[in-house]
Amino acid sequence: MPSQMSISGADACRARRAVLGRLYGRAPLPELVGLDSPLDLVFSLLSRTVTSAEGNTGLLIGPRGCGKSAVVQRALGMLEAKHGHTAPASASTPKYHVVRLSGFVHTTDRIALRDIARQLLIEQDLENILIGSFADAFTYILNLLRSSGEEAVPPVLFILEEFDLLAQHPKQSLLYTLFDIAQSQQTPIAVLGITARIDVMDLLEKRVKSRFSHRQIYVQCPQKKHDFVEIARLALHVDSASDGVAEGFAQQFNTQVDEVLAAESVARYMEQIFDFGKDARQLLNLFVAAACQLSAQVQFLQLACVEASIARDVASAKMQVLSSVSLLELSLIISMKSLVQGGSSKYNFEMVYNEYKTFMSRHLLVASAGGAMKVYKKPVALKAFETLVELEIVRPVATSVAADGGGSYGRNDLLAGSAQAARAPKEYRMVQLMIEPGQVVELVLDRVDVPAVIRRWAQQ
Amino acid sequence: MSTLCDRLLTKFPGRNDQIERLLSLLGEPEDPAPPCVFVYGPSATGKTSVIRDLFSLYDTSGSHYAYINSVECFTTRLLFERTLNAWAGHVPCAENRFSNYAKCDNLVDFVNTVRDLLVSSGKQHEAHYMVIDQAERLRDRGPMLLTSLLRLPELTGGANISVVLISNVVWDKFRPRHGGAADPLSIFFPYYTKQQILQVLAKDCPSDEPQPFFLTFVDAVYEVFHRNCVDLNELRHLVAMLYPKFVQPVFEHQATRNEFARLFKLCQPYFAAASERLYLREISTSEWQKYSAVASAKNNPEDVATSIYHMAENSDGMDLPHYTKFLLISAYLASYNPSRLDVQYFARGKDPSQKRKRKGGGASAAASEDALGGKDRQQLLGPKSFAIERMLAIFYSVIAEPVDSTVDVQTQIASLITLRLLTKTSAGDRLDGIKCKCNVSLDAIRAISRSVRFEIDRFLYNFT
Repeated sequence: MPSQMSISGADACRARRAVLGRLYGRAPLPELVGLDSPLDLVFSLLSRTVTSAEGNTGLLIGPRGCGKSAVVQRALGMLEAKHGHTAPASASTPKYHVVRLSGFVHTTDRIALRDIARQLLIEQDLENILIGSFADAFTYILNLLRSSGEEAVPPVLFILEEFDLLAQHPKQSLLYTLFDIAQSQQTPIAVLGITARIDVMDLLEKRVKSRFSHRQIYVQCPQKKHDFVEIARLALHVDSASDGVAEGFAQQFNTQVDEVLAAESVARYMEQIFDFGKDARQLLNLFVAAACQLSAQVQFLQLACVEASIARDVASAKMQVLSSVSLLELSLIISMKSLVQGGSSKYNFEMVYNEYKTFMSRHLLVASAGGAMKVYKKPVALKAFETLVELEIVRPVATSVAADGGGSYGRNDLLAGSAQAARAPKEYRMVQLMIEPGQVVELVLDRVDVPAVIRRWAQQ
Repeated sequence: MSTLCDRLLTKFPGRNDQIERLLSLLGEPEDPAPPCVFVYGPSATGKTSVIRDLFSLYDTSGSHYAYINSVECFTTRLLFERTLNAWAGHVPCAENRFSNYAKCDNLVDFVNTVRDLLVSSGKQHEAHYMVIDQAERLRDRGPMLLTSLLRLPELTGGANISVVLISNVVWDKFRPRHGGAADPLSIFFPYYTKQQILQVLAKDCPSDEPQPFFLTFVDAVYEVFHRNCVDLNELRHLVAMLYPKFVQPVFEHQATRNEFARLFKLCQPYFAAASERLYLREISTSEWQKYSAVASAKNNPEDVATSIYHMAENSDGMDLPHYTKFLLISAYLASYNPSRLDVQYFARGKDPSQKRKRKGGGASAAASEDALGGKDRQQLLGPKSFAIERMLAIFYSVIAEPVDSTVDVQTQIASLITLRLLTKTSAGDRLDGIKCKCNVSLDAIRAISRSVRFEIDRFLYNFT
């Protein structure tokens, strides 16, 4: 019996490792759900470059989290299985090279070029190459790939993630060069862009666009709820062969997983995710907490854990933070709400405090709850107000709306804001409440320690 | 693992749920780490201390996690180099001429160096963590940084790297606009409840004091202050400051430990003072200790009041020359009064209140006030800028005696601007037509007016 226990304990740990790897997206799922046609297209595009030295270009377009990268990953895996080892470090000359670029990290063409050279394992003094034009340097790099005695350059597959960001580089010389080489057939290269932007073609310059093959492959989110659930099932199931767990344990584990997935609360919530966003990553995140609990003691997925993480997911983070602010802070929030209802779209601390004071002086006689309704002095209220600003429940309003484009967020204190506003003392900086009046009412009703007067005030 | 858990749980009462979830996420060193963990909650809820202690106990070698405060590491370069130093166990010192492990300017370099580092040290399967405190600052560091950090495992080709973000802002405010990052796993640290605060503060109990007695006191402090402040740090500070005063009568044989109500009553004046002056840091800890030691309830009950008055009194820090005070007053009037009423208020030899009454303008003013609910009063909107000439006109009107010609008014204005009591709103290179705003609060200007016996309230329009 004890040996039996320890074996399945180790199994549980292995299962935990395998399942978590898949949930975090660190390991691929055993199969792709409903992505067969894009997979075939991508694979044929890449393999034709490798086998028949064609120059190919294509774009893989689809919403976030629908499996674009997974498709490419799998296609590359299939290619590797078919054509053998790709690692250029191996002694024999490699059949083909893979270069991966991402718009997130390769923010300029220069950085991208240097990284291309690095990925192709060119150990030359790059500084000299980079002096010339981009195209010159690039062809130079490609020519270096030509191993001694051979005429042809081995095929190179370029995978460009976040293609739309790469297209925003000035002059688009990276894309132009890549597309130009692919089109001119000198060197067999395949360029596969991956993007979530459906209007990505509009970002390309005319000269770049005319060199692109206009082959667009669309990837879609799962169309059927069944497929969506299937993704979770694939991630959570363990396989005795690939995950290294005992046959019996795997069977037991998988039945348990099916039970959890079939449970009414879980099924309903998965349906909700499907209806709202179809994001597979959000779906998988749901099971992380339960998978983390797996250990020698807890060998199977626990329904209670999944339900707990559903409950955490449902709760609004903002409301959670606000659910236990002090009474003074709550009163200030209610003051702001009544200012909003009075028609002001922005307001400063003085107005809020004035609202608070007016209310309190009107109701101080009514409430006799013994000290519960003390009117706090202005500096004390300002400190409470600044706590709200720090939590970004209250945000300073920039007087000019022009600064909205560049994705800048600004600092979260009262001293932020435009130069004009910065000249005013902080009590007079205009702010806005970042929650809806309805949410304020909800917030007050959820609390037990709020005096009846304030409760009524919030509901007005 | 369980001993680690127990140690943390006893050290941080009331954070059981969070600690257990964090530990289960970490798992064994070889386990796959979550790409990103987002730890959030209001300030003083133990986010940073729990995470730091947890990692230092979890990873005793210290080379699997890098703790980075993003206030300290204010550029991406510092952020990357600090992380690499920590992961490589590299300490800049005199021997290596305070150099970093690697020079790392951009993400590509970072990603490549990390990959090489992990491969060369043979630790690519062990989880490495990058803990970033005050992560809300990362949002100012270019739109791509946060997204890239969230995708580090992907970018480094599947390295077992994890980013832990600590912030007091919710994730909704982080979500990148282009949607490039999946939502991380989040762990919420709520405010401590009353029970938990008592548990935490029980650890602060002085060793020679009976704990139940101390906790009764803490309970009382909580009841007094929790309506405006639920911040644990503030409450701890207040308890530390007030407790010596609270037990003082016991040692002076004024009361015994059983007479809780009496002790509380003797301490009452200190509570009142603490709720404002100490809480707002108007007096420092050392000042509080110095002044509150002067008096005790035993030698003279009135002394308690005077010593606190003494604390309250030293707020009048603005010791300006006589005429400068008048300048500041006239600046305040110019900032808050509408210029169309200047004639009514400041024409020589007229009493403003009489003039206003006689004019009967009160009715129309009241009507406009009702229409807008009095919400656009200048008092609420803040100071507006005024031409310096207008301020001078008011100055010569409000000052009772003719001004001594030796007083250089312009110099005084310049010094008021240097002191930031006035803010210049016109362009810096303009020499004529200067416009200013008055930067002083109503309370301060009232105190100044009192010191020169000037009745400012009679001259203010539409103030309450």
